[in-house]
Amino acid sequence: MTLAIAIARARSEGRHLLTEVEAKDALAAADLPVVTTRLASTADEAAAIARDVGYPVVCKITSPDIVHKSDVGGVRVALADEAAVRRAFDEILAAAQAAVPDARIHGVAVQRMAPAGVELIVGVTTDPQFGPVIMFGTGGVLVELFRDVAFRVVPLAPRDAREMVHEIRGVKLLQGFRGQPACDVAAVERLLCQVSDFVEANPQVRELDLNPVFAYPEGVTAVDARIVLSEED
Amino acid sequence: MDQRLRRNLDRALNPAVVAVIGDKRQSGYMWLRSMQTFSGHVYSVQVNPDEAAGIAELGVRNFASVREIPEPVDYAVCAVPRHVAPRVLVDCIASGVAGIGMFTSGFAETGEELGIRLQDEVVLLARDAGIALIGPNCMGLYNPRLGVRFSQDQPAGAGGRVALVSQSGTHALNVSLMAAANGILLSKAVSVGNAVVLDLPDYLDYFLDDPETDVIAIYVEGPRDGRRFAEALRRAAARKPVVVWKGGLTPAGQRATMSHTASLAASPELFRGLLRQANAISVNSVDELLDVLQLLVRCKPGTGARLGLMAMTGGQSVVITDAFERAGLEVPTLTDRSYTELSEFFNIVGGSYRNPLDMGGTIRDSSENLDRLLHILDADTHVDGIVMEISALFQARRWVREPAALDALVTQLKAHQQQSAKPFLAVLHPSFAEAEVVTARPRVQAAGIAALPSFDRAALALRRVTDRARRAAGMLPLDSATP
Repeated sequence: MTLAIAIARARSEGRHLLTEVEAKDALAAADLPVVTTRLASTADEAAAIARDVGYPVVCKITSPDIVHKSDVGGVRVALADEAAVRRAFDEILAAAQAAVPDARIHGVAVQRMAPAGVELIVGVTTDPQFGPVIMFGTGGVLVELFRDVAFRVVPLAPRDAREMVHEIRGVKLLQGFRGQPACDVAAVERLLCQVSDFVEANPQVRELDLNPVFAYPEGVTAVDARIVLSEED
Repeated sequence: MDQRLRRNLDRALNPAVVAVIGDKRQSGYMWLRSMQTFSGHVYSVQVNPDEAAGIAELGVRNFASVREIPEPVDYAVCAVPRHVAPRVLVDCIASGVAGIGMFTSGFAETGEELGIRLQDEVVLLARDAGIALIGPNCMGLYNPRLGVRFSQDQPAGAGGRVALVSQSGTHALNVSLMAAANGILLSKAVSVGNAVVLDLPDYLDYFLDDPETDVIAIYVEGPRDGRRFAEALRRAAARKPVVVWKGGLTPAGQRATMSHTASLAASPELFRGLLRQANAISVNSVDELLDVLQLLVRCKPGTGARLGLMAMTGGQSVVITDAFERAGLEVPTLTDRSYTELSEFFNIVGGSYRNPLDMGGTIRDSSENLDRLLHILDADTHVDGIVMEISALFQARRWVREPAALDALVTQLKAHQQQSAKPFLAVLHPSFAEAEVVTARPRVQAAGIAALPSFDRAALALRRVTDRARRAAGMLPLDSATP
């Protein structure tokens, strides 16, 4: 699904927030590295997707009316086999319907559970003065405490991406901290440029969050994605 | 900025004829007195007959309207009350005035309806006519070479290579005076005021192409159009060093969501990112601005972090090292060859030459030894730049007794700087003998040597110009995590 289709669907439902699956599909269509995440309408479909993407998997409720998925029991992680996936599918739907009875349910998103890497965050906001702005930093629960982040204005030149990566203290984690293998810094820089290109090409995107992004010795992967549209096209 | 507007701004900044509209005794005829240094023709426009005698005393011809001035006016200063400003502007437009510096205030900055309405009126008139409207609510233009001034304290007669663009009239004045006090002359200065027709990006574009300007300094509080500002900054800083002093906090702006990004997108951080992206140099005070300007104007640019430090004593050797390391620069060991050469003459009783060179005992009675030290550091492949302490603490008494001693030192340093490719700067601290420092500093600076007032300020300024040079050369800045 391209962004245009996702936008059309969201607009028709009166939404500004794309679902996680819509956001990831749109980003994947633009060649950004996101964890493949597909929507299952039945337990059979969920099991088939899990088999396709490989175990372990994560299942999440997908509904425009449920923003905080964990709070309603709508997320199950580290599902190791088909039985666990089928059980999780039923439980997630039941929990979501119990918590938000009127919720429009798109289905259950199934994705491979990405192996842990160095945790990063990439975000875009639209600044009232400077327009779209990219933030990059170390991720995780302590992101707001340490504020280890760098900002730049869109569009980003490769030089800017390189400097952003080296500007944060967490660059040491990427370079192989305490005997850990070094991460693919070039892939991180490429991701930042791709995000810049994506929002430049799609001015309807008001906010974009890739949180977390995992960086590995080879490549990077955005594990979660969130896109907020501007009020009008 | 279209061609007509640019041409008019160019005429206003390089005028042959200036008109001062509405100057009066009550303000001490500050505008007419400021323009007494102007090399071209100055006329006054003042309708109040009570002011005629005072204006005549200044030797300036007065007219009842700018339309009566017998030659084309390049730059007009408008100091009339706000309700008269639109009519004056109409007259200026009708008589083909190229640019107008509107000192008049009481416009949109008041936030009141009348002020906003008057400003809108002025903007419409000016835009339509293509007149270069500077301000309103500003001090206008300064061209030291031509003697166009907005204060009687500003120097005139010679110009420099630094252009200044300021959102504050006070800072435009203060920076122009403080720069001159440090021997740095401006090419031009603009106090932009409310910047309703010509905005910061327009002036940046102008000075980018101005052949008299090598360096651009900006004081900004909040650009009116952030994206235009960012783009103009990128363009300008790609060709000339641009130093940006950001005052105040930009409005936090609307935060539509509670996402991580929105909660972290505080404007100061964003602004800093923007300056890095443009490769503009960020400073936080007038002192830091002047320090950086000194280095940009006087030092050869360098991308290296490794410094050879020359201090007078052991205690200073320790703290000068701390200062430069703290700023993210390096104080390396020297090459074996340098150590061999130093061992031949360096006075190691009470001194050391590892780096810093603790040189007091070595150079006290021998300018020849100072030359050798400079030469060794210049040739040392571990050293990218040289910083030398000039110590009033130990030398002030001698400078009083024997003024030629300082002159000889300055001549020696100047000769070194001219033949060396490495950045060189001096640190001349404030001292118990402040009068001697105040006398010595301009003598050092007049020789084209950067003289900064402390190790820490020198280190910070050098770090900043080094990072700029590195980015310009396609390198990463020095370890960015250093504050």
